[in-house]
Amino acid sequence: MGVTKEQVESSLTSKLNPSHLEVIDMSGGCGAKFSIVIVAEQFEGKRLLERHRMVNGALAEEMKEIHALSITKALTPEQWKQQQESEKSQAAA
Amino acid sequence: MSLGISLQWQLPSVFRSTRASTAESRTPDVSLSLSTAPFGRALRCSTIPNSSILTGNRATRISSIRCLSALDPNLKSTLDKVVTSQKIVLFMKGTKEFPQCGFSNTVVQILKSLNAPFETINILENEALRQGLKEYSSWPTFPQLYIDGEFFGGCDITVEAYKSGELQELLERTLCS
Repeated sequence: MGVTKEQVESSLTSKLNPSHLEVIDMSGGCGAKFSIVIVAEQFEGKRLLERHRMVNGALAEEMKEIHALSITKALTPEQWKQQQESEKSQAAA
Repeated sequence: MSLGISLQWQLPSVFRSTRASTAESRTPDVSLSLSTAPFGRALRCSTIPNSSILTGNRATRISSIRCLSALDPNLKSTLDKVVTSQKIVLFMKGTKEFPQCGFSNTVVQILKSLNAPFETINILENEALRQGLKEYSSWPTFPQLYIDGEFFGGCDITVEAYKSGELQELLERTLCS
């Protein structure tokens, strides 16, 4: 029962080819609740709603067993780079 | 501005059923009453296709045409009316007063903080509605927020749009139109 973090990662990796991916199991290993940060080239030119739909679509099978999925970030590599840099400069300030 | 939307289901067996697949394979009767809606009369959607009561409605929303099990044409047509009955409609777990899920609660709190008038529909009370909506919105989870008849997003998207100010802008535009 339940979905593993590895399953979620492998589905997302094979379908969306992310350049950066963080999957966190927030249900203490139960596989019921995940939080995702995903950076992918394919998000380019797509609205947030469409990006979330792509992630949901990639996890269609897993979603049957996942209770809650929180997509904290769905960014393009460009946006991700910008965010990393601004975080860095904030930390330095 | 309060609008009473009540969904009454006439298949108590759906709730008695212990297997979800049994519930999904049925075609439930949908009885929806929109008390102060533009369609100020009770709409009864029977399982007969092209129910005469539904013909002549002004729902012109065109959704992608798909053939799916949980979303029969009558439920779809009812949902077309529900999502346009009010500028902001939130399908959620629990009610505005008593949200029964953290994600649903988050969206309720955001809308309340923006003083936006909105209607909520508790999907926990109705399994067929819950399953049908997932297909209607092409969205696997709840809450589901509709603004001006359009699917806006779930909790994450609403939070993101709230933080960026995009939600406030959209609501202002929508509520003024």
